[in-house]
Amino acid sequence: MRAVIATGLAALCLAGATAWGAPITFNTALPVHQGGWVLREQVIYRKIADDATAARRDLRLAGVVSVLGYGVSRDLAVFGLLPWFDRRLELRSAGQNLERGTQGFGDLSLMARYTAYERNSPGRTLRVAPFLVVKAPTGSDEARDRLARLPPSLQPGSGAWDLLAGAVSTWQTLDFQLDGQLSYRTNGEANGFRAGDVVRFDGSLQYRLWPRRLAGGVPAFVYGVLEANLIHAARDRVGVTRDLNSGGTTLFVSPGLQYVTRKWIVEAGVQIPLLQDLNGTALGYDFGLSAGFRVNF
Amino acid sequence: MLNGKLIGRRIAVTLGLALFASNALAQTAYRIQVDGLACPFCAYGIEKKLGAIAGVARVETDIAAGTVTATMADGATMDEASATRAVQEAGFSLRGFEALGQAAANGAGAGAK
Repeated sequence: MRAVIATGLAALCLAGATAWGAPITFNTALPVHQGGWVLREQVIYRKIADDATAARRDLRLAGVVSVLGYGVSRDLAVFGLLPWFDRRLELRSAGQNLERGTQGFGDLSLMARYTAYERNSPGRTLRVAPFLVVKAPTGSDEARDRLARLPPSLQPGSGAWDLLAGAVSTWQTLDFQLDGQLSYRTNGEANGFRAGDVVRFDGSLQYRLWPRRLAGGVPAFVYGVLEANLIHAARDRVGVTRDLNSGGTTLFVSPGLQYVTRKWIVEAGVQIPLLQDLNGTALGYDFGLSAGFRVNF
Repeated sequence: MLNGKLIGRRIAVTLGLALFASNALAQTAYRIQVDGLACPFCAYGIEKKLGAIAGVARVETDIAAGTVTATMADGATMDEASATRAVQEAGFSLRGFEALGQAAANGAGAGAK
């Protein structure tokens, strides 16, 4: 189940120096100029409760994801990402309703992105940027509740070092922007548990809805956003045993809106699982919500 | 007496015109054509970089035209190399660099600095 949750959070967090807009569900395309900073804050809510078993598991995650980026040079940008989550799992066990969970800061991720290819023309740009993410085990992985130590899926941190590598490509015009990203995440082991590796493809279309016609100056834009996240997670491992009830493939679609100005962006979206092919009794997603802002400085 | 008043008026008008002309002529503006500029969030970086060049008083972007107009303080000038560097550091490419006349300089609207 940990891999499924990691998959969903990665869809929000890091499944993502230069200048372009950015999708809602991944961070790798965040624009930042040389010597400049970008701060992104997202409030998120996830309901993961598609459980066919008698336990009727209902997992809810609410939290804030903070991302701070800095343009080291024209082409190199670095980012730090820190999530804070409240995780609550309700289930039935031995005829009783139980609630387990905790809250706290999760693991800190550090990302470097290098724009390897760039082609600019009037009113449009094409960019390709590989990136590398290291997730450090800064969050607690020993949290307990009144019953016992919490399972890995409810711990704020994983306790493991994880690596994520990929590339993001952006094609932006005055009318629309397309982003595509391919990434692979390999998870480390901690406390005898290793979440399954994750491979994913993310796509995002941002289409200018308003103003319909551009006059002079720099008007604010309203973008309609449609994103898709195709995510495959391998099975988790407990010791040397694969957890047959973990991992699988999910396709999310995420419609949303962005209001874009020179200095800041506000955005909101809903994440819906269109297809879920999960292993065993792995928990499926019901839906996700996210809203937030970005500031250039 | 009449001639004295007339001469005084002429001197005042001449001084005023001279002052206006020197002010207008001293203020130079440049139109910078930028490739890759395609959204409002992108405009901030280029305005910040161009605004940081010594002598730049005002920066105004026209995103549809892909141009940035930099108006200089009195007597200040900008060279193309500085503009190119600022545009590149903002993540874009410079396509054109052109000095404008005083009318355009004085006509620039409220922009970022």
